[in-house]
Amino acid sequence: MKNILSIIALSLAVAMSAEAAVVVIGAPGASDISASEAKKAFLGKGASSATVYELEEGNPARSEFHSKVTGKSDSQLKAFWSKQVFTGKGNPPATLSSASAMKSTIAANPNAIGYIDEADLDDTVKVILKP
Amino acid sequence: MHIRHPLHFALKALPLAITAVLLPSQVLADEATEERIAQLEQQVRDLQKQQTASLTDSFTFNGFMSGAYVTADNNSGYLGTSTSADFSEESKLGFQATFSISDQTQAVMQLMMKGENDWDVEAEWAYVSHRFNNGVQIRGGKLRVPLFMYSDYLDVGYAQPFARPPEEVYGAVPFTTYIGGDVSYDVEFDDSTLTIQAFGGESEEDNTDIKNIIGANVMWTDETWTLRAVYGQTTLDGSISRTIKIPSQDPSSGLPIEIDAQLTLLTLDNEKATFSGVGASYDNGQFLAITEWTRSEVDGKYTDVDSGYVTLGYRINAFTPYITAAYYESQDDNERVVVDAQSALIAAIFNGQRTAYSAGLRWDALDNLALKFDVTYANDFGDTSGGFQSNILQQYDDVTVYTVKFDVVF
Repeated sequence: MKNILSIIALSLAVAMSAEAAVVVIGAPGASDISASEAKKAFLGKGASSATVYELEEGNPARSEFHSKVTGKSDSQLKAFWSKQVFTGKGNPPATLSSASAMKSTIAANPNAIGYIDEADLDDTVKVILKP
Repeated sequence: MHIRHPLHFALKALPLAITAVLLPSQVLADEATEERIAQLEQQVRDLQKQQTASLTDSFTFNGFMSGAYVTADNNSGYLGTSTSADFSEESKLGFQATFSISDQTQAVMQLMMKGENDWDVEAEWAYVSHRFNNGVQIRGGKLRVPLFMYSDYLDVGYAQPFARPPEEVYGAVPFTTYIGGDVSYDVEFDDSTLTIQAFGGESEEDNTDIKNIIGANVMWTDETWTLRAVYGQTTLDGSISRTIKIPSQDPSSGLPIEIDAQLTLLTLDNEKATFSGVGASYDNGQFLAITEWTRSEVDGKYTDVDSGYVTLGYRINAFTPYITAAYYESQDDNERVVVDAQSALIAAIFNGQRTAYSAGLRWDALDNLALKFDVTYANDFGDTSGGFQSNILQQYDDVTVYTVKFDVVF
């Protein structure tokens, strides 16, 4: 029993350390944002002027980002946006197909924020929040 | 004698060595080029996408659809069901077009086709909204009456955890839209939002004018907890009539038949009606709890109702099993004194009580498709019809309804 538990604990630890960290990025001149600002921006709330970009559905970084920042699972997020869309309250952010597309889009717009896996970072963009 | 000079070897080996040295960098260069090309292609695709998007930026189209199979173990009439399979009662198709007139102004139109209305096309939402820089939003046109937590997306089954919002609460008010306007204001806190909304307008249902609707609600949410309170009032003017089946005899054959008769039961002479409700929900991504309680009161003999429900759910990957307990109870039965046949009929129709228990499962089978299974058992009708007009003879004292449903958004 003890063995099984330690195996489970170990594999959990491995799974957690293997999980790459997602980071919120902005253009090189962008200033840092707080976790709650990021949450609001990505749920289309508040009077934020930032243009928000998401990775496409099915991208692991997307699920990780939302579990950390907005606290919503894929299906909850889908249900959330159906509520917003069908009550005319807002539309989901535009999506980009890859980390490199995300970087080039964010780098080109000082007002834009997005997120990528930390492993895909380079100096064209700046990390503005490590959730 | 030919002596192989080491250099000879070296010379022969040179091209090979060069190739061997160059190959990895060549391969690397190719890979880099390919990656660069892939990146550029991606950028072109994204730019094309953005360009196409900018052409259609002003317009967005969305839709949703539900298909339901509902059947009951008797003909008491709960949810309009019967023992025969019914595919149309809760099936619906909706399209929504949103046109952005400017960054802050948009026009929204939602067209619905419902099985229960013979698939006639009706606009559930048709309004123009404008958001001011200070966070105030105004809307005008045809809007949903925001009485319940799920009022705004009543027909979008995908956005609801259960197969349907509990009928005990949601069936207590017979109209869902109004013509008028609302003003709402979002107060943003650090980690939560408080929305204050005031609304006013008018509506119509059958032969009743629902005039001078005015109300307000407040909702606070941090996306895990949601708390809500609402108050509304209106003036009802007109008459309440029901189609009653009267047992009769076929004059030629003498066989028993039923005749449909439209009967005016009550006249409403500018009667005041009020509605109040509170609701709360908790959703941490895994555990889900929702509760609402409402009270509606109408001057005169029309039913005053208290109703409420509690739903608990638990997400296990794509599956969300849930249970619901709900009740509905008319509060003013003593105002409908039975003195003759007419008053007996009025009492039989407007007195009603029941408790309902549901067990269900939501399965997020695909990205935008949820399948739902639900069994709802209602009993505790007391000495009433349970609130079902088709059960005014109190033939049934309980009912079980089975639902299989799919909800899609696109």
